[in-house]
Amino acid sequence: MLEFIIQNNIVCHAVEAMLFASIACAVLGVIITQVQISSIGFTMAHAAFAGAAVGMFLSLNVTICAIVAGVCVAFLIGPLSDKARVSPDTALGLLFGISMAVAIFFIAYMQTIGQGFSAMGLLFGDVISLYREEIYLLAIICVVSVVFVVVLYKEITGIIFNKRIAESVGIQVKPVYYALLFVIALTVALCLPIIGGLLIYVWLVTPAAIALQFCYRLSAMFVVAPIVAAAISVSGALAGLEYSLPVAPLTAVLFSIVFIAAVFLSPKRRVTFRKS
Amino acid sequence: MASSDPVILLENVYTAYEGADRPTLTDISLSVGKGEFVIIGGPNGAGKTTLLETINGMLPLTHGKAVVCGHDVRGNGVGVRRRVGYLLQNFAFDPLTPFTVEEVVLMGRFGTIGLFRKPGKEDHEAAKRALQLLGIEDLASRPIGQLSGGQQQKVLLAQSLARDPDVLLLDEPFSNLDMFAREAINCLLSRLVASGIAVIIVSHAFDDLPDCRVRVVVMHDGRISLDRECLPADVGLLIRNAGSASLNA
Repeated sequence: MLEFIIQNNIVCHAVEAMLFASIACAVLGVIITQVQISSIGFTMAHAAFAGAAVGMFLSLNVTICAIVAGVCVAFLIGPLSDKARVSPDTALGLLFGISMAVAIFFIAYMQTIGQGFSAMGLLFGDVISLYREEIYLLAIICVVSVVFVVVLYKEITGIIFNKRIAESVGIQVKPVYYALLFVIALTVALCLPIIGGLLIYVWLVTPAAIALQFCYRLSAMFVVAPIVAAAISVSGALAGLEYSLPVAPLTAVLFSIVFIAAVFLSPKRRVTFRKS
Repeated sequence: MASSDPVILLENVYTAYEGADRPTLTDISLSVGKGEFVIIGGPNGAGKTTLLETINGMLPLTHGKAVVCGHDVRGNGVGVRRRVGYLLQNFAFDPLTPFTVEEVVLMGRFGTIGLFRKPGKEDHEAAKRALQLLGIEDLASRPIGQLSGGQQQKVLLAQSLARDPDVLLLDEPFSNLDMFAREAINCLLSRLVASGIAVIIVSHAFDDLPDCRVRVVVMHDGRISLDRECLPADVGLLIRNAGSASLNA
């Protein structure tokens, strides 16, 4: 898609993948951070990671296994906290622990049988060995995430403002909320191979946190977060490939540096009043 | 007390929270007509907020029948909520909340607009009217998190009014408000009641009530222990006496 700008095929694929993944994650990240379900995103990311590890071990389609695991966890959180009479926070802790245990078990086992190299890609991401079809899938999930927010913007803003108030004004909170969890699971699973299970959380949370330092309106956050994410991710991909550094970890570090700078530069913490 | 042509009709309603071993509301029968002003009193934990949320369809009925604005609450809670304005109690927003006052008030229309549709000119005008009713149109572009508690309370009240409700349920509407704001809100409530909106408030402040006939409903332990009309000046005494009688019974 970007071959007319970047001639090198590997670099072009890496840039495209990072661009689409960062936009999708950043758009959903605004919702995740504002609804304060970061721990759900965190648990789903690790469930998808566990699903991918199991899929890799069983020689099944890694992406489909990651999607199934992510979606299952998303829909288990509510019933588990209801039936087991534990708080959603505890339910998330349980599911996170199980996911990590499963993922680490299979990755460790694959290392003992000589499949360690492919498993490392799940941990830290791999932007070099991507197929064209995978880039197309990322482009599709990027469009799906943006369309999801545009079409359900009104309902999403209500839920972000306050779920109880959203319900009281007549918004159908539950169906929209479950649809949101499904799209997050899908996005996380598709982005997992390029960003990695341990780092995907940075893509989900940091762009929104950076945007929040400067935006007073939610609509502005939905524009600023993906632009920031895309700029940092593309820069990270280009720099990583140019200097032979691991792309996803380098980009995650760049995200953190920009976030720290944003906190210091944020006008929200500055007193602008001057007595004339 | 039975009202002719009621907008709220509860018959032998029981409501229980999930996992509770006894109902929070027990055998509640209540009929409220258009343009009635009802004040619900009673001690903490009597079931006042639960009653409002049952009327609004946010809590499920375990027994009985509830019809609000022509909709059966059991089968069409969302339909009920589109016709009912509800001010929840005790809300405070973080200073970084990325919503302006105008956006929050417009949200009051979202249920009536329907899925996949955007707010139109009519919705923006309704939100503007609600801001003007509360006298906070000058705050429209301010972030809600940067307002005082009383101003935030007014914004949420404007949100409830933005959808031109037939019924207004207000849970502690006078908390956080100064005496001038209370007077203004009471004046507004009188006008709303005169225009035919049924107003039900849960409050512990009985000093400056709207200048209209008031119906007092006193709750105790999930039941209605008193339901009668009185003058605004008598509300406090009536609720206090009913509360003492219930405690002594």
